[in-house]
Amino acid sequence: MGLANEIFFLIRKELLLEWRQKYAISGILLYVVSTVFIVYFASQNIQNQAWNSLFWIVVLFASVNAITKSFVQENSNRQLYYYSLVNPLAVILSKIVYNTLLLLVLSLLSYAAFSLFVGNPIRHAGQFYLALFLGSAGFSITFTFISAVASKANNNATLMAILGFPLIIPILLTLLKLSANALGLIQDSAIDTDITILIAIDFILLGMSILLFPYLWRD
Amino acid sequence: MIKHWWKILAVVILVYVIIVGMTKPLSSGILEVSPAAVAAGQRMTFNINTYNTVFEKGGTVKAFIKIDSLHLIPAQNVTVLSDNAIKAAFNIPEYLPNDKKSWSYPLILSDAQNGSFVRPSVISISQKEVNPSLGKQNWSYSSDIKLFQNDEMRFPFRALIYETIRNTYFHVPLWFGMVFIFLASAIYSVLFLQSANPLHDLNALSFTRVGVLYGILGCITGAIWAKYTWGTWWTFSEIKLNVSAIAMLIYLAYFVLRSSFEDEERQARVSAVYNIFAFVAMVPLLFVIPRMVDGSLHPGNGGNPGFGGDDLDNYMRMVFYPAIIGWTLLGFWIATLVYRMEKLRYQSLDEDY
Repeated sequence: MGLANEIFFLIRKELLLEWRQKYAISGILLYVVSTVFIVYFASQNIQNQAWNSLFWIVVLFASVNAITKSFVQENSNRQLYYYSLVNPLAVILSKIVYNTLLLLVLSLLSYAAFSLFVGNPIRHAGQFYLALFLGSAGFSITFTFISAVASKANNNATLMAILGFPLIIPILLTLLKLSANALGLIQDSAIDTDITILIAIDFILLGMSILLFPYLWRD
Repeated sequence: MIKHWWKILAVVILVYVIIVGMTKPLSSGILEVSPAAVAAGQRMTFNINTYNTVFEKGGTVKAFIKIDSLHLIPAQNVTVLSDNAIKAAFNIPEYLPNDKKSWSYPLILSDAQNGSFVRPSVISISQKEVNPSLGKQNWSYSSDIKLFQNDEMRFPFRALIYETIRNTYFHVPLWFGMVFIFLASAIYSVLFLQSANPLHDLNALSFTRVGVLYGILGCITGAIWAKYTWGTWWTFSEIKLNVSAIAMLIYLAYFVLRSSFEDEERQARVSAVYNIFAFVAMVPLLFVIPRMVDGSLHPGNGGNPGFGGDDLDNYMRMVFYPAIIGWTLLGFWIATLVYRMEKLRYQSLDEDY
């Protein structure tokens, strides 16, 4: 079985698990709706600047919550079985792809919830969707890898936050700038460079995850 | 002894950096000019306060207001009041050879003792009406002027910064050193993953500790400098302060990660993996993000953290580059000491079992 095939099957497995349990997606839906509700009640009249920050904070925290369980929802014996069955790279890559899809759904849901409760000030929709996609990919790569690291330690949930948040900041700052541009808050002439930087950071982190994961999964 | 040549080198370089960096004087500079504004066609006497000058030693003092590279207005009469104060009288022509209604021009002083020095945009000249061609036609001053030179080793005089320019030999090299030390730590982590030799992991740990120490020292020297020049110890509107704080958080998280393991082998392996990942993630944080954000208070254009051009002159380079090497070597030395301590602790743990 080739790597691509393995990844495909593992993603199918993740989707199937999700379909049977409906834990992640319903959990995320409720999480997003209730956070946006809190945001709405906490500050009724939200300016564009605040919209931008609040949106990405909600997405960031929802992402961490969604991804933390990546490597702990199945017990370690079954994971060992996967590693002996398929290439360990396929395991992390399938989780990254699956989490990217999950986060994309999550951020689109957040966007919908924000539009519904708070308002939709986006001016350049194309740019904003691009930011959502690149953001989902970046969050997914970083947090999936960090969840693999944290799952090896005892205090998983706390470690996830303290290891993940500082590392996500370059991606988050670039995203904030991109979406500020999509909101019309700033007129950035060098937006192409920012997009390139974001893609480059995503690829570098993906490369590091692929290189380092073989040392991580063994116990 | 021959094995420790680099430690001796570190000490020699740092002694040189501290002695030369702290004792060589600043260039002469202009502190204050009053009045700050004058109308075209007037005769005006300016009181000029200067820094690090010795006018009373004698010699003629020349003063010029520089309109552009071809048109300089020489002072008619310069009186020395004290070592650090002179009076200069200028006849400003009726028309200037440009079309600027009101503009601030640089003032140049030059004498045999102190050399030549400039303060940009310090005298504002306003014209009632502009007539560049008439200004050029009636221009009576010669553009052929001789300025004195002072070849002593002196660091540049910069308004606002003044003597704190010497912090360049501490604050900036500490950050450079920190990056090199974290790089060494990441390399030891790579070696550990290849060899599974626990000593490599102890090395990575020691280097990370010293890297964090350097980061903290960089923050402290920067805060002192910021207090003097920007008027505040810390500002969150400055991107480089934020990214350096985040870099510290990344590496403090490394220590928390280490402490959350009971199994030693697993601790070493997982923290090596995180250390490499963190170093790679830190590179865009420190070197790309600050370039993306406009309006940094740090030197360099548009938030560009590159150090060069007008910010460093050749005399500063003679101290600044050795300072980078010296501080980096000192950091490596401290790291080897920490490593030896950690190794002893590790071996004594082994004996206990």
